[in-house]
Amino acid sequence: MRQAAASTIDRFSRLLGHVTAWLTLAMLVVTASVVVLRYAFDTGFIWLQESVTWMHAAVFMLGAAYTLQMDEHVRVDVFYRRFGPRRRALVDLTGVILFLLPMTAFLAGSSWDFIAASWSLKEASRESGGLPYPMIPLLKSILLVMPLTLALQGLAIALRATAVLGHPGPRAAAR
Amino acid sequence: MEWLAGLLFLSVIVLLLAGFPVAFTLGGTALIFAGLGVTAGVFNEALLTGLPNRIFGIMSNATLLAVPLFVFMGVTLERARIAEQLLDTLSRLFGNLGGGLGISVTLVGMLLAASTGIVGATVVTMGLLSLPTMLKRGYSPSVAAGTICASGTLGQIIPPSIILVMLGDVMTSAYQQAQLAMGIFSPQTVAVGDLFAGALLPGLLLVVLYMLYILAAAIIRPEAMPPYCRKSGERVSYAEFLEAALPPLALVFAVLGSILAGLATPTEAAGVGGMGALLLALVRGELDLARLRDITRATLRISSMVFLILIGASLFSLVFRGYGGDDAVHAVLEGLPGGAFGAMLAVMIAMFLLGFVLDFIEIIFVVVPIVGPVLLAMGLDPVWLGVMIAVNLQTSFLTPPFGFALFYLRGVAPATLPTEAIYRGVLPFVGIQLLALVLLALLPQLATWLPGAIYGR
Repeated sequence: MRQAAASTIDRFSRLLGHVTAWLTLAMLVVTASVVVLRYAFDTGFIWLQESVTWMHAAVFMLGAAYTLQMDEHVRVDVFYRRFGPRRRALVDLTGVILFLLPMTAFLAGSSWDFIAASWSLKEASRESGGLPYPMIPLLKSILLVMPLTLALQGLAIALRATAVLGHPGPRAAAR
Repeated sequence: MEWLAGLLFLSVIVLLLAGFPVAFTLGGTALIFAGLGVTAGVFNEALLTGLPNRIFGIMSNATLLAVPLFVFMGVTLERARIAEQLLDTLSRLFGNLGGGLGISVTLVGMLLAASTGIVGATVVTMGLLSLPTMLKRGYSPSVAAGTICASGTLGQIIPPSIILVMLGDVMTSAYQQAQLAMGIFSPQTVAVGDLFAGALLPGLLLVVLYMLYILAAAIIRPEAMPPYCRKSGERVSYAEFLEAALPPLALVFAVLGSILAGLATPTEAAGVGGMGALLLALVRGELDLARLRDITRATLRISSMVFLILIGASLFSLVFRGYGGDDAVHAVLEGLPGGAFGAMLAVMIAMFLLGFVLDFIEIIFVVVPIVGPVLLAMGLDPVWLGVMIAVNLQTSFLTPPFGFALFYLRGVAPATLPTEAIYRGVLPFVGIQLLALVLLALLPQLATWLPGAIYGR
């Protein structure tokens, strides 16, 4: 049951990450195009340039949960790498409860007004010729999506950790 | 309440050692401290309301935009086996030279600079790429391990490393803050390009020193690093060399050159460089849809890792500042004997020690914003300071028994390679690093001359 729930969350994070990942290629293509337009044709579009920033933010914010799922948020693993599965599970469970969930809850809670203001103002880019409405409020809304997806993935990690901890360890089994 | 800021800093260091991901440990610990402080009435809650705005500032930061693009370029060079082919070709080019393989490893480490954000990643890459070959070709394990650790960390201080992009961004705001504090209201600026130019000569100096050491060691102990080619058939022809080595070298030089010449911003250069790397991979038949997909995913994960640390660090620094930590650090540094020299020495030692626990990115985002403005307000040059920090940390990562690079190489090295051999092999390189650090301290022009000559700073 716990495993099934955790796997479902994993699949969701992975899907979101895999789709978002293509934006890195789009960033590259658009940046290179901006350069070609500027130097070869002496022209440029502000919205095109701003779209790179937009995609960049989307990449690392929407990719955060997937990165967590792949365990690639860097750890100081001097000791962790030597821990057995049970101690690792303990670190992960405590970390999720003590650090990850409060932090994501705080991020989500505190950004609510910030995002709502942007939507109600129908905010557009400050530059003329920049990104039109609703791209800016949409980007700001990622401030809410990031902590929510991250918290969900944290939940999956916590579920797995409780499964490991609930299991009789090798020492207990030997007794 | 400054002692609470100190306690926060110590708690973070200790809690990080438990091994939960850094980004959340930084942010979470700070949040706990803030929460307790608010309850006890010693922390002003309003200080935290600026957080969404700060994070949105990170999301729209134009300088840091270069990070994922450089990562893309580096990952492509690595995954499309361009680095591997380069290593092979260079090794055969220096085939009848004792130590030639070691020199090739150093050069490839230098060229992997673009993707060098995390110490671990490059050391692991270099380790997987070259350790088996070096051992197979009869290198002594300690020499091989030392060369790989040193080369794997070398890329950090060679432009266009993403470390320098991030350091440049933090330095920019630290420099502005310092000048405002000094009462200069039309502040001079320092940009990522300045730092690239400043790091170039010290970086090349390190490369030269590494190579001289390897050559000298090969003469003194020829049995420890035999020539790569035993049969003449393995040698490389000039045509082969031009085909395998020239395109990636040209790519990296074009990227770097266009930034230094002021033709392109780092972001533009990174975008074009990434496209160049993709084209190169395509031409060589090393690019299919599956590999492209892997490249985009790896780029996303590295970017997300970097920027989440930045988000955790900004939460940390909000709380640290809220408890008066910044002011306390300023007071301590200004009270040290020896003025700017004393403060600089203290910061360098502190960073060296922190390098045993924290990776480069964390130090840039957590420590540099605290100490940077104070040091710069004492009149130190921002480019020189940045380069000193970079070389210092690189030394820290190499220093046994705690250096990061050593752990990572240990992780990919066969069990038959004793840990003591890694330590022994890396010591000469630590010596070279310290030499470079002293040279830089005595001759700041090593770092400041080139940016001055190019940008007239």
